[in-house]
Amino acid sequence: MILASDVNLVYDDHGREVFACRDVNLIVREREFVGVLGPSGSGKSSLLYLLSGLKDPTSGGVRYRGVEFRACDDRRRAAIRREEFGFVFQYPYLIGFLSALENVLTGWLNGAEGVERAASLLERLGLGEKMHRRPDELSGGERQRVCIARALLNNPKALFADEPTASLDPKTGEEVVRLLAEHRTGALVLVTHDRRILAGADRVLRMEDGRVFEE
Amino acid sequence: MRKPLAPHVFLLRNLSRTLPMVVVIALAVLLVAGIVALVNSVPLSVRSIYGYSKAFAAALPRNDPAYLPEMERELEESPVPIERVLRIRVAFFNVRSIVGKLPFVLHGISPEDGAFLRERLDLGQLTGRLPSPGAPEAVITRRLATNLGVNIGDVLLSPADQQNYSPQVVRVVGIHEGDLWFAYGDFDYVARNHLPPVDDLIIVAKDQRAFDRWAVEHFRGSRARILTHEELLRETDDSLRVLLQLLSVVIGLLVVVVTVMIGLFINIYLGQRLTEFGLLQAIGYTRSFLTRRASAEAALLVGLGWVLGVLLSLAVLWAAKVTLMDPKAYYLEPLDRVALAYTLPLPLSVLAASLLTIRLRFRKFDPVVVIERRVA
Repeated sequence: MILASDVNLVYDDHGREVFACRDVNLIVREREFVGVLGPSGSGKSSLLYLLSGLKDPTSGGVRYRGVEFRACDDRRRAAIRREEFGFVFQYPYLIGFLSALENVLTGWLNGAEGVERAASLLERLGLGEKMHRRPDELSGGERQRVCIARALLNNPKALFADEPTASLDPKTGEEVVRLLAEHRTGALVLVTHDRRILAGADRVLRMEDGRVFEE
Repeated sequence: MRKPLAPHVFLLRNLSRTLPMVVVIALAVLLVAGIVALVNSVPLSVRSIYGYSKAFAAALPRNDPAYLPEMERELEESPVPIERVLRIRVAFFNVRSIVGKLPFVLHGISPEDGAFLRERLDLGQLTGRLPSPGAPEAVITRRLATNLGVNIGDVLLSPADQQNYSPQVVRVVGIHEGDLWFAYGDFDYVARNHLPPVDDLIIVAKDQRAFDRWAVEHFRGSRARILTHEELLRETDDSLRVLLQLLSVVIGLLVVVVTVMIGLFINIYLGQRLTEFGLLQAIGYTRSFLTRRASAEAALLVGLGWVLGVLLSLAVLWAAKVTLMDPKAYYLEPLDRVALAYTLPLPLSVLAASLLTIRLRFRKFDPVVVIERRVA
């Protein structure tokens, strides 16, 4: 479904070339749970941005269902991210002036049934009582669950989670990963430095200095 | 809430941020509209106070009473049909206006001419009576009575009043209920007691504007002074031109100050919302959607500020008219279109500055920078 071929991502650090990703060749298959493990600064997040089309590689290419991201304009690429992908980031980013339910709805594509579906997702994620609360009235774990609901709203073909447990306590973190795995409707690419939360992954990749190794 | 990203949602849910900007724009609109309406009340007052001059032209011999018969002969040559030429004498007194006292004419008119003028000027129903021949008496209109604070039996001119002087006490004996400003007394009394000892002419024509234009041209450079309504308007506009030019500079500066201020506010608030914009772009909203949304928010905010400002202006000016101006028969137009037109550069320039700020902000916006928390 997602194919990365000879991908390099190079940053310029005051005149010095830094490889965030180096010679990455990778396939993410339909409904596959891929865990990406590595220490901080190993290039895990960069890989996730490349696979989801948020970033362009310096060389090589990333395709989603045969479509080369680099060949897509901003509108097409945004449409893929919005219609086909879901995102959960390290920090539970929510829009402060919207309720939990409204935050979930920011990811919705069509029509009136969005409210019903968003409410149903929040119910399933244990936030039925709190769906009308603002983010500052929710705990960190609850906020991350709202982010998961937002990411799941469109039944994404691929779900990208970038260190979704980093800002949570271990118990809540495990719960968040369980929810992600349980409710996903497509592939899941989960980036983390914590091996324990990848117990349910179909495949675990290890990253070191921008290189990807199969475990 | 099916459209949580609709522009009004941000405005309504962030009133602590948006309301001050709306209020600043509204107050600036009020300031501009108020100043312009007040300045415009000066020519409006002049036009209203001397509105009677629309009905006739006046011809005055310049320091040479002997020229009067010649003037009358020349008037007979007018290509514009003349309805009637009246011989009058004048005395002066002051009326109050927003810019201080203005001279006003007490027309000394014969009883026959008086009947004609009352009908021609449509002075309205008379309360009281007409001035008696040769008596120190005056008839005025209701507006004038309100302005001076006088009623029937009150003194209009007196020997003790330096500014409204007459050798005898002239009392108001009648008040016309019409809106026009006009005052008249008996010809003989005014002729006997007031300078200059020269008759003036009032010329009432079938087509007054056409006659006025002809008379001004015809008597140009002669010993006759022609006073017309059009000339009055021109002189008023001339005297206010510098004031209006200065006003434009002040309003221009105000527009610049408010524009810079709101532009800075919007820039700061956009900066504080980068996480929101980064998140939305990351999850699939295009840069152009974000630009359009922020622009719509700015347009809504500016539009709201302007509308509120206009409503506030109408309310404040109306209150000023009712409580301060009307009791003294001063003129103020709360729905002054010129004043409203002067406020338009304000929202337009603020909106232009806002859109420019938004465009610059989003030109090279990278959501990953925000998601990775590399911005404050």
